[in-house]
Formats: sequence, structure tokens, C-alpha cells
Amino acid sequence: MPSLTTIPATSGAFVGDLQLPKTVKVQNLNYFFGEGELRKQALFNNNLEVRRGEIVIMTGPSGSGKTTLLTLIGTLRTTQDGSLKVLGNELQGCDRDLIVRVRRQLGFIFQAHNLFESLTAYQNVNMAAELAGLDPMIAEGRIKSLLTRLGLGERIHYKPKSLSGGQKQRVAIARGLVHKPKLILADEPTAALDEKSGREVVTLFQELARDEGCTIIMVTHDNRILDVADRIINMVDGQIKSDVAVQEASVICDFLKEIPLFDHQTPNTLAKIADQMMVQEAESGDTIIRQGDPGDLFYLIRNGTVEVRVHDGKQERTVAELKEGQYFGEAALITEEPRNATVVAKGKAIFYALEKKDFREVLERSASFEEELRQALFGRQ
Amino acid sequence: MTRRSKTPLAWKNLTHDWRRLAAALAGISFAVLLMFTQVGFQNALFDSQVKVIDDLQGDIFLVSKAKYTLAAEKRFSISRIHQAQSCSGVQGAYPLYSELTTSVLREMDRGIGTRGFPLRTLGFYLDDPIFQSEEIKTKLHRLRAPGTALIDAKSKKKKFNFPMQDEAKLAQYSLELANKNLTLVGTFNLGTDFAHDGNLVMNAENFAKYFPHRKRFGDPLSVVDIGIVHVQKDFSTGEVIEILKKTLDDDVFVLSRENFRAAEIEFWDKSTPIGTIFLAGKLIGFVVGMVICYQVIYSDIAEHMSEFATLKAMGYKTSFFIQLIVVEALLLSVIGFIPGTIFSRLLYEWLAGQTGLLMLMTVPGIVFVFAMTVTMCVASGLLAVRKLLAADPASLF
Repeated sequence: MPSLTTIPATSGAFVGDLQLPKTVKVQNLNYFFGEGELRKQALFNNNLEVRRGEIVIMTGPSGSGKTTLLTLIGTLRTTQDGSLKVLGNELQGCDRDLIVRVRRQLGFIFQAHNLFESLTAYQNVNMAAELAGLDPMIAEGRIKSLLTRLGLGERIHYKPKSLSGGQKQRVAIARGLVHKPKLILADEPTAALDEKSGREVVTLFQELARDEGCTIIMVTHDNRILDVADRIINMVDGQIKSDVAVQEASVICDFLKEIPLFDHQTPNTLAKIADQMMVQEAESGDTIIRQGDPGDLFYLIRNGTVEVRVHDGKQERTVAELKEGQYFGEAALITEEPRNATVVAKGKAIFYALEKKDFREVLERSASFEEELRQALFGRQ
Repeated sequence: MTRRSKTPLAWKNLTHDWRRLAAALAGISFAVLLMFTQVGFQNALFDSQVKVIDDLQGDIFLVSKAKYTLAAEKRFSISRIHQAQSCSGVQGAYPLYSELTTSVLREMDRGIGTRGFPLRTLGFYLDDPIFQSEEIKTKLHRLRAPGTALIDAKSKKKKFNFPMQDEAKLAQYSLELANKNLTLVGTFNLGTDFAHDGNLVMNAENFAKYFPHRKRFGDPLSVVDIGIVHVQKDFSTGEVIEILKKTLDDDVFVLSRENFRAAEIEFWDKSTPIGTIFLAGKLIGFVVGMVICYQVIYSDIAEHMSEFATLKAMGYKTSFFIQLIVVEALLLSVIGFIPGTIFSRLLYEWLAGQTGLLMLMTVPGIVFVFAMTVTMCVASGLLAVRKLLAADPASLF
């Protein structure tokens, strides 16, 4: 029987093309600051996968380790324990040359603009273009169009001293983007910008993600730009508490909504249920549950089809065929009785499974729907 | 792969803040000036020291083996001159007499002597081709009279404050040399050095009268300070030196012009503390320049730490940063060297006027100071670059 993985259903890791390249792959990553007595763990056993072209927003209170994780991904810190792959390169124990090679494929946008006061906007951006070895003619065109796009067309040859804070930040953004990085790491890129230019920047991010397959990871508290996120990661105390592919989460919620058991749950509760589900894979012919076994999981079919077979003492017969969006395994959990049927995968399939205790918790919670409503109203104060 | 950056970051960073640039250039110019002053004084000392050799005619020089420097009053017998005259390849050999310690010149004020100062008196036979100076040659006839001499117009003004421009007035001066009356019948130009504050030239007969006690018993002209040998046209100096060495008694050195000059300079450089003092002076200039240059480059780096860290994050390599700082240091050294050299030139002229020393800005001197300037800037840049390499891009987020 295929076993349950520890990959959350909402991570979206198993949707569509299973082999989509991963821009970032973090496995069991730990990180410590300091030495000896003062050694303090900043990251605890983190796992994360970010696919090509995704826009990821990292949130979390300060000190939660999101910046540490971002600098590790950006090769700005040396990995200590665990595995970290960026653009296909294992950074654990790699040499300086590899780090430099990886860095040149990254685009950094820092909270501070860090522009050279002695160089014009154009020259500052050109520092990145030159490093990438762009043809000067092409580089010139790109720099000018980027700066113009960011509303600095009139100020291309101004020095930072003559630019406002927001304008400087936009120059820094242009510098981070000019060499067409494969991965952009941004720290509060829109914090210094007004609504309109902030929107322009995230639209630019979306275009890069869509047209060039550029992956973007940003730390932000700016909820005006949450809507562009493909994935939202929340970190608390050095651990990724939730890693949600926004679209996949909404697909799961849509599936769950259709299940009579959950039909009176609030979207908030459905999202929580989705968060608790884990991925399970099955090959053709794998038995997912066997009649007579004790029930431990509730299954939602994400991909593929299954056959439900019942053995009536003499022979086994197929009673139903279930497909994407449908579910099974709930009866044994509700009635606390053994499984009343066998489910076998027809072809490759992916399930999202919910553990018995979580499932029961939801059922009990649904009884206190009114209570939840009260809580919600109370929380508005 | 290191691509040469087309954005002139080093230049831009250097020239961005003109006030700091001006301060930096002033500092480096000062260091250049310090070094030039030391080099200038040292060269002046050495050149002045051998100026008398440069002014003499002749191809080969004879000096006593005991004479470790021109100022040392060690003499050899006139018979060496006679021996030399008889050697093949020698066109002529001539004695030059020199006196310093007893050669005290004092001005007489209404019959009472004022305080006198020693100067070098050179005596020679007027018919001998001794001096190269046309000035002396044209005035030779004036020296025939007893009690006459020509005075070096570059003699130290503080000690020999005579109207050097006006020879008629000069002749009116009532003077005593070694307590005997002396008439100055004109001037010539030689220059002072660290051992001699002034110079007189006179006829050998006069010389013998002023300094009769050069030799305790006997003819004062029988002991010679420097022997001057002229080589016949179809002989090489080297050949004649060999012949003279074989022929002459073992109490004299037979030196070519170059060796004579080099030996004198070596004495001052190696046997006196002067070489060490000037070396120390040059080192001080070097260290001052290095500190200034380090300060300039370090503060430039310190102020741009986050920008440099950003470049690091972007993937600029260590070699780029080292190159950047080295270029910055080179630029600083070049643009600091130019005003420093100009100021030094002016200072040289002023000092030459004041001291009578030969303050010449020679090509080797310029090359030396420039090399020191570049070294000090690049070395301090490389010291400061450690700060830059410590820039941590992880601190940027």
C-alpha cells in the first residue's frame, strides 16, 4: 500500500505536470547563528519547493527566519545543514565559483536601494548589465526601456542625489532585473513606493514570470500586492508554518465545498482542512484501502480514477468508479467501523488525504458552527 | 572570466566628492613633496660634493690612498706627478692644491678683523689646463699678481657677504686670508657643499705664500692634493690607468673620472649618517603618503559598504574589487604626483637660491619618487581592500 507523504496538499507540488522544474528545492534545512555557547538555531528543518515561474510571497513576523532563508537561497549565506538546490545547483558544500555563477543568474532587490552616488541611474543599472556580459547595444536598449517603464524615462542620466526615495528604489529594481535573472529575490520591494508605482513593479514581476519563466521570491508585508502571489509562505519561529499554492488551495476548497459533509463550513475552515491534507501517490493497481482494515484516512482524488470494489463474502465486484474531485474513505472514520470496500487505483493517481483525528475534528467543529460564527463576530471588534 | 568594467567606477567614486578628492590630492602631494625634498637634498649633497670634480679638466685623477674624501687633507708627493708625466699615453699631469682648515677668510673693518670663516682655496699653475670653466680661463691673467684670488660667487652669503655682482667693488674689499692680505680680483661659479662653504682659486705661487706650513719642512707645493692627468688622443683612459698603476708608487689611487666621482659619493652615502638620514626622510614621506592614501581609500570603501556588498551579491568577484581599488590607488598616485612635482620644482628653485646647493630635478629622481608614490598608493589600497572583501551581502536583507 502506498504510504502517506509529508508533502502538504496545498503545496501544489503534484499538480499538472509532475516534472515541472524546481527553481528552488529546500530539504531538511537547518541554520545556526553564532558559535559554541552562543550558537542559536534560526531555521528548523525546513522544506520548500518553488517552481519555475512562480511568484512566492514570504510573510511572517520579524525574527521568524524568512530573511535568513532568503539569504540562504540567494547564496549570500553558506548552507550548514540540509540540502538547498537553486536553479539546479546544490549549494550545500559548493565552491566559490559555483556561488558566483549562481549569483549572476539571480536578481536582488534590497530594501535599501544601495546605489552608487557617483554613478547615474543608467550607470548603476549598467553595472548589472556589464556583469552579465550583455551586448552594450542591447543593454542600452534594455536599460532605457526598463527605466522608462518604471517611470524614470526623464531621469535616466540623473544621479541618485537628484532622485526621490521611490525613484531610487525603482532604479535598484531595474538593476535587479536588467540581466534577465532566472530568480528574483526581493525584500520589501514596494515598501518605498506609492500605490501606482508599486503596482507597476508587481505587474512587471508578473510579466517576467509569465513571459520569461522568471521565479520571484519576495518578503513583503504589503498586502496591496498579495494578489500576485502564486504561493504564500508563512514562517514562524524558524519554520515554514504554511506553504500554500494559492490556486491549488482554492481548487481543494472547491472540491471540499462540493462534499455534503463540509457544505456548511466557512471558507476559512475549508482552507484549514486543505492545509491539513497530505499528498499520497499511487501507481496503477495499487490498493489504496482494503475492505476490513481499520479506517485511518479520508481521501480526496486530485488526479486519476479509482475503482471501488466490495467483497460480499463470495466474490469481489466493482461497485463504482470515482474520479477527480470525488472522495472516499469517510464512512469508516464516521462510523469507527472497518473499511466497507476496497479502493484500487486505475492508472497513476494522486490523492489528498486527511488524517482521522483532523477529519473528526472538522466534524465536531461543524456541530459548533454557530460557535464559530460567534467567534468571528467577536474577532471583529 | 574577468570582464573589464566599462563603467569607470573607480574614477567616478574618486571624483564624486571633489572636496575629499582635493584633500586626498593635497595629502598625496605633500607626501610627494616630502620625498622629493629628501631626494633633492640627497642629490644636491652628492652633486655638490662632486661639483669640483665635474668642473676639472682631465681624464685620470691621482689622490692619496689616505684621502677618503675630498675634504680630507691627505696629500701625496709631487714626485708622483713627475712619474706620471713620464708615462706613455700621458699628455700631461698637473698638480692641484687645496686647503681648507687654515684657509680662513675674514673681512677687515678699519684694520680690525671681523670673524672669519674657512673656505676651500684651490691653487694651481696658471698655465696648466685645470678648470673647465670659461669664466676662470678668461680671468686667469688677473691671478698673476701677488695676493690675488677669484672667489666663488655661490659662496654662502651668510659667511661671505661680498658684492659678487660688482667686481670693481669686490676688489676694494679689505680682506685677509690666513692672516695675510688678499685682493679678490673677480668671481667664478662653483657652488658650496656640505664640507665647503665657499671657494677661492689662486695661482700656485700665491697659494704657497698663504699656506707655507702645508708641509712641515720644505716646499709647500711639494705635496699635492689632486693630480690631474690628461690622456694622449690615441690612448684609451683604461690603458693609461693600467700603465699609471704599474708605474706609480703604491701610495696613490689612480682613478677615472667616473670612479673618482663614484668614490666620493659613496663616502657620503655609506660612511656618513647622511645616506641613512635621507633614507629615513624618504621613508617618512612614504609612510605619511601611505597613511593619507589608506585613509582616503578606506573611507571611500567604508562609505560604500552596502553598495559594494550589492555588487558582491550580483556576482562580482574578488578580483573585480581588487582591480577596482588598485585602479583607484593608481589614479590617486598619478593625479597626486603631478601637483606634488610642480610644488617640489618650485621648492627646489627656492632652496637652490637660498643654499647654493644644486637642487636638480633629475629623471632618475622623478622616476624614483613616482615609483614610491605608486607603491605607497597601491600598498595602502591593498591594505584597505581587506575591508571591502569583508563586505557581507547577507547583511543587506
